[in-house]
Amino acid sequence: MTETDTETPVPGGAENDATDAVADKPAGEGEDTSRLEAEGDIAADYLEELLDIADIDGDIDIDIDHGRAAVEIVSEEDGGRGLRRLVGDDGEVLDALQELTRLAVQARTGDRSRLMLDIAGHRQARRNALTELANEAIAQVQTGNQDVSLQAMNPFERKVVHDAVAAAGLVSDSEGVEPNRRVVIRARS
Amino acid sequence: MLADALEHLVRGIVDNPDDVEVSSRTLRRGELLEVRVNPSDLGRVIGRNGRTARALRTVIDALSRSGPVRVDVVDTDRR
Repeated sequence: MTETDTETPVPGGAENDATDAVADKPAGEGEDTSRLEAEGDIAADYLEELLDIADIDGDIDIDIDHGRAAVEIVSEEDGGRGLRRLVGDDGEVLDALQELTRLAVQARTGDRSRLMLDIAGHRQARRNALTELANEAIAQVQTGNQDVSLQAMNPFERKVVHDAVAAAGLVSDSEGVEPNRRVVIRARS
Repeated sequence: MLADALEHLVRGIVDNPDDVEVSSRTLRRGELLEVRVNPSDLGRVIGRNGRTARALRTVIDALSRSGPVRVDVVDTDRR
């Protein structure tokens, strides 16, 4: 679990977002798309009924993004205030709900799901803030020519940073043990 | 509402949804929800290192409007 951010998927196991770093397998595209659409539909049913029971206002958007089903709960009614509870202080409720939703998909399809769930734009906002942070650190590495270590982050956050670093043509890895695992951006040697 | 939400969440992730039972009790310290599933689904509901059970607790806690809720997965095999 602490070796690398791209752990091998375990069948039936709830995994974390670290598996996001696994490259998308090239597959028959049409077949892939319908499989992902089916994942999105199952997830939407699961979440819609939960919103119904909990009397929380929200609509479900289904999309396909980077070879995986992307489901978002959105709300226009009250600025998504009812949905805030489903995000949690640090997105921990969102992560829990994503995990359960993936399991719900798996229970129906028999295959592990890498579905991404977002609620009221939480992940997107977090992604933008992290990319900004990463870019500042990248600039620091490029000018200072020294490794730069970032603050401790969860797997999803580290993945966003690793992606930004790779896009800048630099190399990064992760050090430390959860929950203190952090990304280190390497200076070019 | 919490018991219904929990029942829905669990039914969705098991092989035998009709065997899922959730009972609710009010304790002095708050509400206790007990989940019973088909023994063959126990692993599903608990998950690796208790991860799934923890996710269920996190979501149910977030939905509670009246303080902390305890969620227990009851192993009916060993009752």
